[in-house]
Amino acid sequence: MQAVVVTITSGKGGVGKTTCTANVGCALAVLQKKVAVVDGDIGLRNLDIVMGLENRIVYDSVDFIEGRCRLRQALIRDKRAPELYLLPTAQTRDKSAISTAQMVQLCDELRKEFDYIVIDSPAGIEQGFHTCLAPADKVLIVTNPEVSSVRDADRVIGLVESQEKGPAQLIINRLVTARVKKQEMLSMEDIVEVLSTDVIGVVPEDEMILMSTNRGQPVALNGKGPAASAFHHIARRLIGEDVPLQVQQSNTSLFQRLFGRG
Amino acid sequence: MISIKGLRQGLLVVFDESPWLSQLRELESKLNANSHFFKGGQIALDVKTLLLTADELQRAQTLLQQYDVTLWAVLSQNESTNETAHKLGFSDTLSGPPTQFAGEGEEHEQDGTAGGNAITEGTDGLLVRRRVRSGQVLRHPGHIVVIGDVNPGAQLIAGGDIIVWGKLQGVAHAGALGDSGAMICALELTPSLIKIADAARGSVNGRLSDGHRRSRSRKPEMARLEQEEINIVAWQEK
Ligand SMILES: Nc1ncnc2c1ncn2[C@@H]1O[C@H](COP(=O)(O)OP(=O)(O)O)[C@@H](O)[C@H]1O
Ligand SMILES: [Mg+2]
Repeated sequence: MQAVVVTITSGKGGVGKTTCTANVGCALAVLQKKVAVVDGDIGLRNLDIVMGLENRIVYDSVDFIEGRCRLRQALIRDKRAPELYLLPTAQTRDKSAISTAQMVQLCDELRKEFDYIVIDSPAGIEQGFHTCLAPADKVLIVTNPEVSSVRDADRVIGLVESQEKGPAQLIINRLVTARVKKQEMLSMEDIVEVLSTDVIGVVPEDEMILMSTNRGQPVALNGKGPAASAFHHIARRLIGEDVPLQVQQSNTSLFQRLFGRG
Repeated sequence: MISIKGLRQGLLVVFDESPWLSQLRELESKLNANSHFFKGGQIALDVKTLLLTADELQRAQTLLQQYDVTLWAVLSQNESTNETAHKLGFSDTLSGPPTQFAGEGEEHEQDGTAGGNAITEGTDGLLVRRRVRSGQVLRHPGHIVVIGDVNPGAQLIAGGDIIVWGKLQGVAHAGALGDSGAMICALELTPSLIKIADAARGSVNGRLSDGHRRSRSRKPEMARLEQEEINIVAWQEK
């Protein structure tokens, strides 16, 4: 086996990188791929929480790098999918705990065992971004449909190109079609006009995400709701299927209550 | 006389064989007179055959730092100067762009090859055939020509003219070495800020500086300095 390393990043924090990593990883695993999701955000680890695997961590990637365990011991098997694993990171260390060369070496070791390695990277302006970029075969950049998020995504796309890791692809996350119609939110076309980057998926705002994060049950595992189906589409595009892009209605009863209609 | 050239990797200051201190003084007066052109940039020095001590090189570095300019490479044909520069951590060649700047959004143009785009360099001008993205800075003592859009958050700083065959957003500074006859032309001239020599004008054409508004179709325009004010006229009017 020779895995494809997919690094998921963004311009700034809080746009949905961890959510996308967990769900794209799960969706690939549902497609019968052997997947490792890797937390690349050392010191700020939360991929394990979103995956609901926090309580099963014994060793982490820093333990492996510093020789306290074998890579297999640090990998947590997620039994909810056929072949899904999490490589958690350390909570109490800073980004310098894993060098760029060590990250490349770690991924090379994982490559032999997996079909896909999905890395939850820090944002492009943060330390540790270059460490997660180095092993990438493919880079997905998450942006929200708002001006500042797009501006920061543009910056990161430039950095990815300058590291010869381009062309990056875009995940537009938290889109609300009703607000785009009212011109309160940037549309996919607005974003593409500025970034001229290929869009691999549009994930609608979905209140299921919040519940699933709290329960540690990624939506892509049970397959319900508009965000779940968007993540499955992204996974199918990643494995090379030709799935037409569709922008789904968001599932936002809260929004409907607040703004009258959805 | 020192001379300043534009390269893919930033600026190159070429020294001659006259005494180091007098050349540094000349560099200082250039930095002083054109501080906004140099600010935030990165510079390589070509010191020819001069024999320089660590102290002398560090003096140049400190001088540049005072103007917010980073010294990253020292080219020399003197063995001992080379060795000293190497010890101080400066690159001795221009071939590998300075990796320590990779995260900083300064223009390197290794991305030029990545995207299969051609970039021609020279002292007269810089030709860039791609989109210039947020955080990227193109800086050249001559003219800058971009074939592609210049996004919000990007910066173009030219000693001469700026021509954008595309939509110009972000910041453009022409005549940044003092040439008030310099001009800025674009197929769509909608930058958040333009400057020519020492004059500035914000949010051109009444557009929001974010530039993300869906644009009406626009005609090519050019900006010039007239009576110390930046005027924008449609292309055909000259
Ligand atoms: N499509 C979505 N719909 C609703 N909420 C979302 C969506 N994507 C992310 N969120 C929420 O946004 C917040 C930030 O997401 P997270 O994945 O932690 O971002 P990052 O890793 O980029 O910092 C979380 O509270 C998450 O539940
Ligand atoms: Mg995160």
